[in-house]
Amino acid sequence: MASVVPVKEKKLMDVKVGELPSWILMRDFTPNGILGAFQRGYHRYYNKYINVKKGNISGVSMVLAAYVLFSYCLSYKELKHEQLRKYH
Amino acid sequence: MLSRVALAATAAPSLKNAALLGPGVLQATRIFHTGQPSLAPLPPLPEYGGKVRLGLIPEEFFQFLYPKTGITGPYVLGTGLILYALSKEIYVITPETFSTISIVGLLVYVIKKYGASIGEFADKLNEQKIAQLEEVKQASIKQFQDAIDLEKAQQALVQKRHYLFDVQRNNIAMALEVTYRERLHRVYKEVKNRLDYHISVQDMMRRKEQEHMVNWVEKQVVRSISAQQEKETIAKCIADLKLLAKKAQVQPVL
Repeated sequence: MASVVPVKEKKLMDVKVGELPSWILMRDFTPNGILGAFQRGYHRYYNKYINVKKGNISGVSMVLAAYVLFSYCLSYKELKHEQLRKYH
Repeated sequence: MLSRVALAATAAPSLKNAALLGPGVLQATRIFHTGQPSLAPLPPLPEYGGKVRLGLIPEEFFQFLYPKTGITGPYVLGTGLILYALSKEIYVITPETFSTISIVGLLVYVIKKYGASIGEFADKLNEQKIAQLEEVKQASIKQFQDAIDLEKAQQALVQKRHYLFDVQRNNIAMALEVTYRERLHRVYKEVKNRLDYHISVQDMMRRKEQEHMVNWVEKQVVRSISAQQEKETIAKCIADLKLLAKKAQVQPVL
């Protein structure tokens, strides 16, 4: 089912589930495109949570929490050996 | 510079309607920025950042789940996930867990207690910076305003130039008058000088003639008295004197 607006220019929230693969393939995967994506993401986060007059601790703490989760995922392989029970 | 080109680009269609097209306008019809240049003025910074609950999860997530699960949805989801991770030992309880719990607890306590005051301190620093810049801006504006006022005053002075010119004209007229009178006086003196000369020449001539005549008459008289006439005259004078002496002798007796 083709939607009225071409799938190329929709944002992620407006893309329907069936169109997801074509939408992902449509994205720009050149090095420039990837760099642009990182820049856009950084600037979105920065301008929303940090570049304000009365900033919060949450601007920083969200980044730290994400880092904590990420490093936990990386070190899960070693942590598996310290499990208290074998069968869950 | 780019803003000027964009403005020329927006003006270009109206110029194309006119018959005249210069070479610069043709160049400017190449549009390479579709939007308006957004250089100035910048929009002000937002007051507060995006709302975040528990310091970790953005508000948008809660709004995303609200239609389907109501208010408690995300909290139930969080609790369920935590219990699932603990029971399936996706999160392993190690000695680190207890140190993590105490550190996080301490952090939360400190942030809850002193967060507001630290925020106010940072805000005050910001305000000082902004006040300094504002001062500079106001000083600059005041400078320009003073310069404008000075210019206006000097422009107003131009209207009063005619006083100056009147004074100068009066001065020149007086100087002309003075020179005229000076020269008049000189003319009078010169003329009088010439006339005095003629008068003195006449006087001198007359005096000389008089003296000459007197001298000539004396000389003639002296020449005409011959020697004999001189003796006779002297004898007569002596006889007269004797007579007079006799008369004089006689009279005082009387």
